[in-house]
Amino acid sequence: MESPGMATRIRLAIGLLIAFGTLAAATSLSAHHSSAGYDMEHPLNLKGVVTNMEWGNPHVFIYMDIKDDSGNVEQWRVEGNSPNMLVRSGWKKEMIKTGDVLQINGAPAKNGSKVMRLLSVTLSNGQKYDGQGFK
Amino acid sequence: MPNRSFALVLLIAACFATSDAGAQNTPHPSPVKSRASAIHPDLSGVWFIDEYHRTILPKEDPPFQPWAKELLAKRDYDNTHHDPDIAIDPTERCIPPGTPRIMFQPFPWEIVNSRDRILIIFEYQSLLRQIFIDGRKHPDDLEPTYMGHSIGKFEGDTLVVDTVGFNDKTWLDPMGLPHSDAMHLTERIRRVDHDTLVDEYTIDDPKAYTQPWKASRTFKLKSDWQIKEYVCTENNTVK
Repeated sequence: MESPGMATRIRLAIGLLIAFGTLAAATSLSAHHSSAGYDMEHPLNLKGVVTNMEWGNPHVFIYMDIKDDSGNVEQWRVEGNSPNMLVRSGWKKEMIKTGDVLQINGAPAKNGSKVMRLLSVTLSNGQKYDGQGFK
Repeated sequence: MPNRSFALVLLIAACFATSDAGAQNTPHPSPVKSRASAIHPDLSGVWFIDEYHRTILPKEDPPFQPWAKELLAKRDYDNTHHDPDIAIDPTERCIPPGTPRIMFQPFPWEIVNSRDRILIIFEYQSLLRQIFIDGRKHPDDLEPTYMGHSIGKFEGDTLVVDTVGFNDKTWLDPMGLPHSDAMHLTERIRRVDHDTLVDEYTIDDPKAYTQPWKASRTFKLKSDWQIKEYVCTENNTVK
């Protein structure tokens, strides 16, 4: 491919200015999660109903109602990787919706809170997707 | 935002550099031939860590200075007792991972040839690394940074990169491996075959380790991937 012309370069530079201006407007500096807080060695298999799906950076969150052994409904937050990495492993943004029943394989929080790091998800149609986007 | 402002200036400069920057808009058949690559081995392309590990240590622990060993043990304890909603690792607060950790994250990065530099565009936090290959030296008055100051030269098919000028605000890996502002990083980056890149890195940090130590990581070419936007601050639940 030949080098882009000056007009293309100027358009690219303007695009970058706009993109960074938008980024600078996001002032929150709250954290995202590493996997350090999750027990990656002892994953759980849980089945439940999606109550909310947040498709965003840095990580995707799936909120679910999951019944415990006594039949009580617990609210769980399931954390997947970034949208970019999930799409690269076959995910589509719209494939999980509120009300869907999912089979989750994930690493639970070490401190016992009802959050987990997603390792894989199986949809009600039987299709299985990686939750990390890498091996 | 100073780091992002800096990255913006660099990226805009890259728009006008003599390069094949336009090739980033489409998945490119690699290796891409450019005027820059005509004079040195072509490492360009989107690369992704072959096997991700949470540690960057070699099989045998390096010779820690006592404080560094104690700090790693403390961070290991904190990690083990970590509430996922409380940040411990600086990157959880969207602090840049710094070099070399940024190379080993499970996110792709792209090598782009330029006339006087090799640019590495990281998807993770949209960071940029520039490696000057025009023969310049490190400045005498370096301001400590996350990415450090990198100069490189080709020895045969190997890009040898020398990086100094680090701050001490980062962990070398998610386990909490410490370093100091005296860290001197040397990397030997080589394309061992068309689809495989190896980065052999040596860390010489006498404040943190009694001897230099080295290890390596392997990356695979992702010809059908493009670097996408990644925003660390968009969707967070951590207090």
